[in-house]
Amino acid sequence: MAIATVSAQLDRQRVFDVLFRGATRAFAILVLVLLGGVMVALGVGAWPAFSHFGLGFLVSSAWNPVEDQFGALPAIFGTLVTSALAMLIGVPLALGVAVFLTELCPPFLRRPIGTMIELLAAVPSIIYGIWGLFVLAPFLQLTVQPILIDIFGNIPIIGLLFEGPPLGLGILTAGFILAMMVLPFIASVMRDVFQTVPPMLRESAYGIGATTTEVVRDIIVPYTRTGIIGGVMLGLGRALGETMAVTFVIGNAHEIHASLLAPGTTISATLANEFTEAVTKLYISSLFALGFILFVITFLVLAAAKIMLIRLQQQAGS
Amino acid sequence: MSRYARRQIANRIYLALSFAATAIGLIFLILVLYALLRNGIPALSGTLFTAATPPPGNSGGLANAIYGSVVMTIVATLVGTPIGVLTGTFLAEFGRGSHLAAVVRFVNDILLSAPSIIIGLFVYQIVVVPMGHFSAWAGSIALALIVIPVVVRTTENMLELVPNSLREAASALGTPQWRVIVQVIYRAALQGMLTGVMLAVARIAGETAPLLFTALNNQFWATNMNAPMANLPVVIFQFALSPYNDWQMLAWGGAMLITLTILILNILARVLANWSNQTP
Amino acid sequence: MTMDYSKATSSTPLPPSLKPVIPVSVSMPLIRPSNGSAAQTAPAQGVAPKLAVKCEIKDLRFYYKQYEALKGINLKLHDKRVTAFIGPSGCGKSTLLRILNRIYELYPDQRATGEVLVDGSNILDPGQDLNRLRAKIGMVFQKPTPFPMSIYDNVAFGIRLYETLRSRELDERVEEALTRAALWNEVKDKLRQSGLSLSGGQQQRLCIARAIAVKPEILLLDEPASALDPISTQRIEELIAELKSDYCIVIVTHNMQQAARSSDYTAFMYLGALVEFDETEAIFTHPSQKQTEDYITGRFG
Repeated sequence: MAIATVSAQLDRQRVFDVLFRGATRAFAILVLVLLGGVMVALGVGAWPAFSHFGLGFLVSSAWNPVEDQFGALPAIFGTLVTSALAMLIGVPLALGVAVFLTELCPPFLRRPIGTMIELLAAVPSIIYGIWGLFVLAPFLQLTVQPILIDIFGNIPIIGLLFEGPPLGLGILTAGFILAMMVLPFIASVMRDVFQTVPPMLRESAYGIGATTTEVVRDIIVPYTRTGIIGGVMLGLGRALGETMAVTFVIGNAHEIHASLLAPGTTISATLANEFTEAVTKLYISSLFALGFILFVITFLVLAAAKIMLIRLQQQAGS
Repeated sequence: MSRYARRQIANRIYLALSFAATAIGLIFLILVLYALLRNGIPALSGTLFTAATPPPGNSGGLANAIYGSVVMTIVATLVGTPIGVLTGTFLAEFGRGSHLAAVVRFVNDILLSAPSIIIGLFVYQIVVVPMGHFSAWAGSIALALIVIPVVVRTTENMLELVPNSLREAASALGTPQWRVIVQVIYRAALQGMLTGVMLAVARIAGETAPLLFTALNNQFWATNMNAPMANLPVVIFQFALSPYNDWQMLAWGGAMLITLTILILNILARVLANWSNQTP
Repeated sequence: MTMDYSKATSSTPLPPSLKPVIPVSVSMPLIRPSNGSAAQTAPAQGVAPKLAVKCEIKDLRFYYKQYEALKGINLKLHDKRVTAFIGPSGCGKSTLLRILNRIYELYPDQRATGEVLVDGSNILDPGQDLNRLRAKIGMVFQKPTPFPMSIYDNVAFGIRLYETLRSRELDERVEEALTRAALWNEVKDKLRQSGLSLSGGQQQRLCIARAIAVKPEILLLDEPASALDPISTQRIEELIAELKSDYCIVIVTHNMQQAARSSDYTAFMYLGALVEFDETEAIFTHPSQKQTEDYITGRFG
């Protein structure tokens, strides 16, 4: 083979090398551009509303499409409360699942049960939505909520949380569904970080006679503290942004009540319900403003979670 | 009661609680699946797959919605997968240790968990508004933006699993780097990467929010990508919240279809991953 | 057909019965004739020709970040001969080997200074095309690394990089490489099967076939048999003995007996420095450095 042709071929390969490397780099930068683009697009869309209503937008409860009066407070309130509920219910459950899978479960069952928990995460939001609407809400309305009202309704302060007729739909239902949706995410992260605990550490704890609960509470959880917090925050990020499941069961009322049994709304539910029907520019812009707020909140939570998890990885690596 | 006995009892209680927590999770899954099957199976009929969505009060099927979902899923996968694979390749092969790679990885993970309705708003701004109308293209792009972070993550993980000795062996022959990656490394990681694509498809199969203001919906048969196109999730959304029994039944049928598809994809992906772990 | 990147080497082939015993340090050759047949073995002038030096290493130093892992190596590698690098773990023998095809450049923070002259030109020169270099200098690694493709494609991979051949010519080249690697008979009926389906020893011979398919001039073997069972090891050693008539072979081994069996020259290294370099027979029967003797007799290592 003539040296010249091989030379030409090798030169061509070098060009391809540069092209390939450049292409991968370009698409990587595209990912960064995407995030920036989302922020910019939302900001641009939200600007008219923010400039019109000012920062009062964040604390106003008005929501009147006819008169072009909009305020974000009910939506923000609903988003935060349902997510908080989801965490309150979901995190202990997730901890229970993680402990069960790592300490209690017989080895041959570990993979199937773990898979089933992960399948919970695979079921899309809308499925939980219609299940919530047609199965859970009536059930809560007929059985659980009356009981709650009976038990707590007359107690002075707590009773406020359970005021009002049992509708089945509302903040509590939404919080519960969200809890079941974030459960698999948090449980997965917890299980993964539990498995990073060095076997020596666990064995020495069991070796001095600690019970399983004590090992978990005093050794495993403190050791994996950062990872747990990271996982919880990841779950929180999910809960904040969940749309379809919440839309079906929250009642879609731009109101703020103390009662958990009352209907409400969240940012994503508002967007899902009203965006295609918004006619005036201010209406659309207000919705964009809601989206912008949601994006900022979720971004902060997810970024914080990521930083915590990275720190845990560095800790485990050292 | 002795301290020891108290500890033992406390232990039993907490362990029982964790068992109960797992049971709750599993029961929940079973309840949902049961409801899907119970309400969705009656909707199964020949017309489900052949007739288009009917006006209220009539019977019909979901054919146009199924078609729309399939088409948009395919387009989204075709668009998102190459971008995701190349970015994942950058992170695994070229960017090790570079600051750019660390930032991209960070941002990618945020996009991975970002609310999909935000993605919908974004695509509305940059595609629907300039075009002046809703379209299946917009819907596909929104779904592609959800595919990309998933594929980036799985590609990077799979490529990093390929041992360095394979890279060295290929380089020692004088193979240019792009060929090492494309002809050797990709082949070694192929099963894992396919798993990633399947998981991405499973993810977008049920996504509603990104389609709400991009592809919207269409009552009729539509094959024009430049116009609103019917799709299962939005149809389910519309029909389930309606007061019509026919529509509600179709909604359950559609929900069952989506869930079964996603479960099968997930299980297939797991089987594929396990199988590739066993080859030496 | 050879890939003629180098100037022609001028080594007159010596008959196999005459084991070359020309010490590197002496420029006037001595002859030790084998039993009988002195007349046919000695070339006309009564003096054996000087062996061609394929690769000359001058003052080579290697750094991992700031740490000096190789300290001033000076060495000559002879064509058509097997040179072994031996020494205890961590002495730098693999590091030295991996400089010869600059495979260390895949990793950041690793650099080499000094000169490595192959046929007169310095391969450490920044202008040196790495792919071209590696076409000329092939490497086989400790762990068999078949590519995830068929046996045929594994061997053809390198050939396809540099040449466009008709399929019949490619078939012949693949068969030739597999035959030289003593693998043809075992795989000729299953060329389309995955390379990963072979046993460990077969995989390693596949990797050797893959390396020699591109017709290199120098073969670097990094502990090629250490991951293999004794029978496979023996076959690899036999293979090396056959191959050396065509290539300059450098083998790193932690197995001293293997070095004594298979090589013509041996370099003993310790803590990044070259302690002694001589003909294998000399190293193992009357080494000139005490450290060498201690290692060989097992006092440390």
